[in-house]
Amino acid sequence: MSRRVLIIDDEEDIREVAALSLETVAGWDVLVAGSGAAGIIKARENHPDAILLDVMMPGMDGPTTFKELRSLPETANIPVILLTAKVQAADQKRFSDLGVVKVMFKPFDPLVLAQEIAATLGWQEI
Amino acid sequence: MIALAFSLVGAMILARFGSPPTQSHPWIFWFAAFWTLALALLISIAISSFRAALRERQGERQLQRVARLHRSILDSAGPMMIACDLTGSINLFNPAAERMLGYRTVDALGKLTAADLFPESEMARVGEQLAASMPSSRSLAGVPPNTAANLLPYIRYVASFPSSRVRGFEMRYRRRDGSTFPAMVYLSAVRSSAGTVEGLVSIAVDLSATRRAEHALRESEERYRDLFDNSAEMIATLSPRGRYLYVNPAWQALFGMDSSQFESLIGFESPFPPEIQAEAAALFHKALHGVRVEHHPLRLQSSTGENVEVEASLSCRREEAGPVSVRCIFRDVTQQNRRERRLRIQLVVSQIIGETTSMDEGLTRVLEALCGTFSCEFAALWSVEDTQHSIRPRISWYAKGRSSEDFQHETHALVLSRGQGLPGMVWSLGKPCWIADLRQHPAFIRRTAARLNGYLSGWAVPVRVGNQVIAVVECFSRQYMREDPDLMATVETVCGSVGQFMARAGQEARVRQLDRQKAVILNSVADGIVGVDSANRIAFVNPAAARMLECDESELIGCRVHDLLHPSTAGCDSTCLTRRAFQTAEGASGQDVYFRGNGKSFPVEFSLMPMIEDGESVGSVLSFRDISQRYALDHMKDEFISTVSHELRTPLTSIRGALGLLSAGLLGEVSEKATSLLRIAVANSDRLVRLINDILDLERMTSGRAPLAFRRISLDELMRQAVEAMQPMAEAEEVRLACDPFSAFIEADSDRLLQVMTNLLSNAIKFSPPRSTVRIHASHTSDGVTVSVIDEGRGVPADKLESIFDRFQQVDASDSRQKGGTGLGLAICRTIVHQHGGRIWAEQNDSRGAIFRFFLPERASISALAEEATQSQFEQRLG
Repeated sequence: MSRRVLIIDDEEDIREVAALSLETVAGWDVLVAGSGAAGIIKARENHPDAILLDVMMPGMDGPTTFKELRSLPETANIPVILLTAKVQAADQKRFSDLGVVKVMFKPFDPLVLAQEIAATLGWQEI
Repeated sequence: MIALAFSLVGAMILARFGSPPTQSHPWIFWFAAFWTLALALLISIAISSFRAALRERQGERQLQRVARLHRSILDSAGPMMIACDLTGSINLFNPAAERMLGYRTVDALGKLTAADLFPESEMARVGEQLAASMPSSRSLAGVPPNTAANLLPYIRYVASFPSSRVRGFEMRYRRRDGSTFPAMVYLSAVRSSAGTVEGLVSIAVDLSATRRAEHALRESEERYRDLFDNSAEMIATLSPRGRYLYVNPAWQALFGMDSSQFESLIGFESPFPPEIQAEAAALFHKALHGVRVEHHPLRLQSSTGENVEVEASLSCRREEAGPVSVRCIFRDVTQQNRRERRLRIQLVVSQIIGETTSMDEGLTRVLEALCGTFSCEFAALWSVEDTQHSIRPRISWYAKGRSSEDFQHETHALVLSRGQGLPGMVWSLGKPCWIADLRQHPAFIRRTAARLNGYLSGWAVPVRVGNQVIAVVECFSRQYMREDPDLMATVETVCGSVGQFMARAGQEARVRQLDRQKAVILNSVADGIVGVDSANRIAFVNPAAARMLECDESELIGCRVHDLLHPSTAGCDSTCLTRRAFQTAEGASGQDVYFRGNGKSFPVEFSLMPMIEDGESVGSVLSFRDISQRYALDHMKDEFISTVSHELRTPLTSIRGALGLLSAGLLGEVSEKATSLLRIAVANSDRLVRLINDILDLERMTSGRAPLAFRRISLDELMRQAVEAMQPMAEAEEVRLACDPFSAFIEADSDRLLQVMTNLLSNAIKFSPPRSTVRIHASHTSDGVTVSVIDEGRGVPADKLESIFDRFQQVDASDSRQKGGTGLGLAICRTIVHQHGGRIWAEQNDSRGAIFRFFLPERASISALAEEATQSQFEQRLG
């Protein structure tokens, strides 16, 4: 069964690399959005199995987007993985306190990204 | 008429020569008497024929009158009147005799003899008495007239003299009851009208009362003499002209002269020492002129050379004609004065010492008191210098009036060595020294100045603390003073107190200096300093603390320190660092947030140091520093680093992702050369990521903003985790990893410690040849554990063993490129180990390879306690 993953990141390059990685390595359907607001719309429309959410974004940042997603009934149950370039301990603690499934750090190895996501969410198919 | 003429001539002759039967003209007497008698006979014959009858009647009446008169005289007379006849039989016994002797007249008359009225032995004495009173009666001596027969010669003898010639003499009478009494007896013979001796009459006066009075007088005199002779007070009586009339033994002893020597002196002042003769003479003169001298003090030397102080009282005994004598009484008050003086000076000095805080002021007053007490005019205190090389004047005092300035100047110009001059001598000997004549003493340096200023005598006494002489007190007098050991003893006692005072004042001065220094330090430091008592109440605060807390210093005193720093609104709980710091015995430091008086919070770095006295905590000192600015800067720096890190990672993520996908060949075939280049690009982008991570790590650690999370962990388990983590790398390098089991628990931050172990293992694997072994093992040391990572690689040159722990320092510059290291791994390891209170070092393996060891103390350092605060707690409080 093919999984559908939504990537929300303001960096187009990263969106592309990540999407390519998940599509080619795991064969998942990948949706992308360039901002928090766009991501929320896509999530409501497409009900992805998981969301990879960037933290630092102009406008609505990652944590705000996450809270918004949680507040909407149709997206409240979608597991969210934060993908961040911020690695400081204080940031990490703040993020994990939000209630996300996992915090993953940039840069990531495109060959193991899908594996890590699957392991985190308990997906068996990879 | 012829008869009348004869009688006149006879009477004239009698009137001229007749009264005493003088030896020179007996014939004239007898011639005159013959003619007188003859004339009287002729007259009486002539007259009797005319007036015989009339005359007879008148004569009888006259006789009766005379008899009555005699009777009344006898009856009323005070003296005893007793008469006896020639046989000794009593024939007259008047009432006074009745009273005195106890016989009634009727019992006495004719029944008693004269001998019955005297004690037996007394009659024998009568002869002696008579012989003594009348030298011509020596023949009577020794004849006891105790019988009537023996009485007769006495009577005759007595009768041979006219009654006026018999002197009275003393006899003892015997009363009827046998008792006796003395009486003065006057005897005279009783003659008949014919002139024949018929008996003896005795008139006796009782001498009992007189004797008693005489005895009493004698007794009284004896008593007074005894009193004077045995009096401890010196008593003398002098004539108005100043001759000694009486001196008692005490007076003689004082001057060492006997009474005969005094009698030969010409003036009261003569026995006195020359220096007070004038004073003594003045006193005598004063007393002689009616001024009573009372308790006038005099100092003199006794005959044995001792100083004696007396109180002289002189007064004059006068009669109408003028002064009769001068009484002098000297009381020896030497001992009393010494006692009083000793007590007084000790009291005065202890008062001065008790109420003075300034040492110099106190010492000046002590010198003044010494001078006043011991009649000196100048005193100085010399202090021995700390170096013990010299003694110099510290303070001096002199009596106002006659100038002592020269002497003072000369004194203050001197610095003496041990043994030099009077102070140096006393310092050296450690005992008092007396110079009776300053002008003659060779060791006394200031002789000339002393002479010019009139000083005659002086003395000096050491001031000790324990056995050490710390000062010398010297006094000088314009009076000549002989050595006085008692004065010295008194001054030594006083100097004992002075020594204690100087020691105490010295300590107090040092304490005050320290207090001033402390105050300056406390007032000038920028850190807030709060002293807290054992009940955690504020005992003192410095101005900086009050400023930071925005309270008055006075408001803070007595406040509970924790309640002040963390008011109830701060909502602090058991994790409060400051509270926990106050509960530890060793003290602690760290960062916390305190609150100002206005409720605003500010970040602080604090340090708490307990004050321990005799093993018990008496409080603590909290110092804290407002780190608001630093905190703000740190925050900005964090933000910057966070941003830089993010901005670097974002493009790196794309690069690394793209290269990874490409090199894996997932997007299509790539030539071998391209694959090789892609692998290089991937490795270097990984290295760049690691470098960024390491730089961030190191920065966080060294800035102290990556607090350690200490907990008790199993070292064995941690070592196994490290080995497991490094296993893939080891396998890739064909290196065998070995872990020796070791059981120990330590307090540490497990993540960080794991980072150290994996770093060291990673290094060891990198530099190990294939098929070699990298071993990690731990061992107990005295106060902790040591973990060692041992490899069989190329080892570390001796000159790099230290420097490889510095940043970007590697054994070979090409290592970072070849081995993919960042050059920061060992620097990070060292920082982490230091944060655990341990140390890390490298050694050369004896056979081959290197050994990296790090030591961890069993207990994490207390100073690390505060590190447990998490950033979020901190920020939450700061609001």
